[in-house]
Amino acid sequence: MQERDALLKKKVQDSVEQIPRDKLELLDPIIEKYQGSTSYLIPALKEAQEMFGYLPMEVQRKLSKGLNIPAPHIYGVVTFYSFFTITPRGRHTIRLCLGTACYVKGAKEMLEIIVREIGINVGETSKDGRFTLEAVRCLGACGLAPVMMIGEDTHGNIIPSATLGIIEGYQ
Amino acid sequence: MVTLTIDGTKVTVKKGSSILEAAQQAGIRIPTLCHDKRLIPYGSCRLCIVEVTSRGRTRTMPSCFNPAREGMEVATNTPSLRESRRLQLMLLLRSHPLQCPGCDAGGDCELQNLVFEYEVPELNFGRQSRYFHLDNDSHFIRFNMNLCIRCGMCVRICEEVQGQSELSFVNRGIESEVSTDFDRPLDCEFCGQCASICPVGAISSKWLVGTGRRFELKDTSTVCAFCSLGCSLSLGEKDQKTVYVSSPPESPNQGSLCVKGRYGWPIVYSENRLSVPLIRKNGSLVESTWEEAVQSVARGFSSVKDKSGPDSLAVLGSQRLTNEEAYILGKFTRTILGTNNLDHAAGIGYLSLTKGLAPILGYAASTNSIREIRGSSAVLLLGADLTETHPVAKNEVILASSRMKAKVIVVDSIKTKLTDRDGIFLKVPPGFEDLVVNSMLKFIIDEGLFDRASLDLRVDGFESLSASLESYSPESIASYLDVDPEMIKKAATFFAKAEKGVIILAEGLNKSRDSIALSKAATNLALITGNIGKESCGVYVFGEKANAQGAIDMGLLPDSLPGNQSLSDEATRSKFENLWNCQLPVNPGMKAEDLFKAAEEGKVKGLYVVAENFIDNYPNRKQLERALGKLEFLVVQDMFMSSTAKMADVVLPVAAPYEKSGTFTSAERRVQLLNPSSKKKIGKTDLEIFSILANLMGNPELASQSCSEIMDEIASVVPMYAGISYDRIGSDGLTWPCVDPEDSGSPVLYEGGFPLGKARLVPADPPRIIPENQGYYRLIPTITKFHSGSFSEWSPSLMEVCPGRFAEMNGKDMSTLGVNEGDLVKVSGNSDNSLELTVKESRRALLGTILVPYHFSENRLNLFSDWGSVEILVSVEKASK
Repeated sequence: MQERDALLKKKVQDSVEQIPRDKLELLDPIIEKYQGSTSYLIPALKEAQEMFGYLPMEVQRKLSKGLNIPAPHIYGVVTFYSFFTITPRGRHTIRLCLGTACYVKGAKEMLEIIVREIGINVGETSKDGRFTLEAVRCLGACGLAPVMMIGEDTHGNIIPSATLGIIEGYQ
Repeated sequence: MVTLTIDGTKVTVKKGSSILEAAQQAGIRIPTLCHDKRLIPYGSCRLCIVEVTSRGRTRTMPSCFNPAREGMEVATNTPSLRESRRLQLMLLLRSHPLQCPGCDAGGDCELQNLVFEYEVPELNFGRQSRYFHLDNDSHFIRFNMNLCIRCGMCVRICEEVQGQSELSFVNRGIESEVSTDFDRPLDCEFCGQCASICPVGAISSKWLVGTGRRFELKDTSTVCAFCSLGCSLSLGEKDQKTVYVSSPPESPNQGSLCVKGRYGWPIVYSENRLSVPLIRKNGSLVESTWEEAVQSVARGFSSVKDKSGPDSLAVLGSQRLTNEEAYILGKFTRTILGTNNLDHAAGIGYLSLTKGLAPILGYAASTNSIREIRGSSAVLLLGADLTETHPVAKNEVILASSRMKAKVIVVDSIKTKLTDRDGIFLKVPPGFEDLVVNSMLKFIIDEGLFDRASLDLRVDGFESLSASLESYSPESIASYLDVDPEMIKKAATFFAKAEKGVIILAEGLNKSRDSIALSKAATNLALITGNIGKESCGVYVFGEKANAQGAIDMGLLPDSLPGNQSLSDEATRSKFENLWNCQLPVNPGMKAEDLFKAAEEGKVKGLYVVAENFIDNYPNRKQLERALGKLEFLVVQDMFMSSTAKMADVVLPVAAPYEKSGTFTSAERRVQLLNPSSKKKIGKTDLEIFSILANLMGNPELASQSCSEIMDEIASVVPMYAGISYDRIGSDGLTWPCVDPEDSGSPVLYEGGFPLGKARLVPADPPRIIPENQGYYRLIPTITKFHSGSFSEWSPSLMEVCPGRFAEMNGKDMSTLGVNEGDLVKVSGNSDNSLELTVKESRRALLGTILVPYHFSENRLNLFSDWGSVEILVSVEKASK
């Protein structure tokens, strides 16, 4: 029973990569900017994630000390919002909308193509570190369905067969 | 005040009370799963919903966070409410494993009780199981998140009350659980509040797992024997063995405890407890019988007394004795041994702190009750690292800081955890806190930030005080202490302008005997700013050990009789002589400090040590050892083979505080009852031993009374205890001064005026010189929250969380020395004493200081200290392997 429990428990892996000390110093300007008010945790985390691509333990601990916010609280926020991640991401995040409108207009086929051709499923990162695939519920652009975001770019009215062509444009 | 009707009963409550509180006041129960009176209402369980009819409209709303309003009609138990609660319970049960027969919380589970009460017939929804692993990695506490109903009480009490925020909700939706960051084991205060507040079995005490269920345990209510806050304890015993300690929610401490109170009790079962008396024969201590041991003690004392006179005998008592024991010990010393050579450790620390209060205000004790701190709007902590010394009092500061937005002004030589709160931190070298306080006083007087008119009515001595502060301008003190003068001014302004200001002093080894200057300055400040005699104001002095206040009240002192009544006063002396039916020695005795000097010179030959381990705790170990070497006869009465006991001629084993009856007087002057657990005690109680010795030494009447009769005798001679008797103390205790049997005690002193008529401000002494520490580190002996004196060293559980031999240092100092965390450093004092310790990087340590906990006898830290000064200069280097 306990063995099964241990297997099934969705444990978040400790970040494997060690972030070197001097690289952690990059966080200092963020800490300086948001110090003194605990209500700016989310913007601070967002900027930190933009800097490192993800939020490993060292980064969270450093922010915790610098911003004087308890580490468990930061971890709670990071694990609550799907936007934040503790594991490294690909260089480009593909956010594929699987909301109703996109779904009926072909997002399902697009997903299949990505899974087959790029070789990653939802929530995974490709081996070469190029892409991370995320499924989102709605991007608020149903008029352009099916919609996909790659990084900051939004692509709409996609014909499923053109999916790969769009993705190939991102190195 | 608002009046509303709940289930047909009219209730009048304070404005701002919730409907739930109003119902509780009226004795109407509304079910809740996420509510606790210590916490801010949260409203997550939705079981406390009630139907409220107001202005002709009926609505359903949660009662925990909706305020009671005038004229409301509230129904708490209609069929539709019952149905709604039933549905809510079914939803909770959807993902709560139904393993009740095998669950540790069975019978003590709020969810189980409510499911029973609301007759939830069947589960209409599909089950949704979660699989979290059992987390046994933390000390004392086990997590089984499968059982969690996400009421959030653990997360909230950890943040709101403890100020720790060690727990948080992580993940989202059905996956959410209570955990730490990255699921690491707990690294916190281990107060166990999360486990005690959990309404189900998701967080529980490890010792209870598989041991017993709450309803099987027999509860004995008593008082915690560690620090002086006097938290009520409930010892849960199964088969006459304590397995669980909790605190009743209706106790003065509202059910909050710290790690020592909740998890320190295995000290009673320590395998190192002494159980048979020992006598030194041919140089070594050998087991003996009680008969032989007490005979030899009586003979030993008598022969020293006959040969060299009564003043060649001396007695050291302890702050861990009950009031009754302390009183009888004083009587024993003064009447049978015939000497006033009587002192105890509080004479070094606690006494000097309270001594500053007495001449100014009248009583040598804290002015207000601990629970009032939460209502203050500014808290000034003077060398009081409450997180470590008095965690439960720290909770009050956290509450004041978060709910009253109180500024927390910390004046300390350690960057304490409370410096994280909104406020000011002023660093001072150890023992120089009074400079800052006097400087604040000077600024307040110069700026006119006080009410002169009310001051004149109640207080004398303003002119002499203000004249004495000439050299205390913030600028000069700030440059002296190397802080920003604006900070002192800001601190003074905050405190003076605060509606209710609290000043807290705590005892510790890093306080000198000069703390009297500090407590005087603190009291002056409280008076000038009008913070005396009102609720949520005042000066607090917290002692380190359970009965620090009681030991002083009971006169375990060389120069005063019980009730702080002076020995030199003829009338007082004859009052006690009549009562005790004897002639009292007139000359004041020797203080502990002088006593050891006298022993070294051979003037004191016999020493009776009761529950005190002075060789590890008193300053100047070398002198102590020399003095001990000269003694002819040393008797030690202790629970354990302490370093002092090892040197004794006779060792008498005594019962633990949880094994005896009596009373303790807490730091808030609350006299509380101790009740023995049903476990058979080991050894004899101190009181029994005094009585046997008195019998053998020719005064059988001295200690033939029971504890309650002794309290009656105390009441007859100590005016502030006059109305206290065992029948009246009850479970909540009585707060002195309690002057007659009708008096219900006085949590706030000086409400109606001062016993001396007017309070008297005392002029400040000129600033003391801060010694140079060029090239040296300041060693600060600290207290950790896991320990209490050297007593807790015998508690296996506390030693498990916090074993000894570590030092805390600032990260910058560590890189200067070239040491990393975990390395050994060598600390050397001015003579040949040195010490090797593992170093930890700590934000608590300021530059140029090294913090070493003083509890561990193996550290022998008092090799470095001296009676006179607190300044310990050491050199620190990396230890060669």
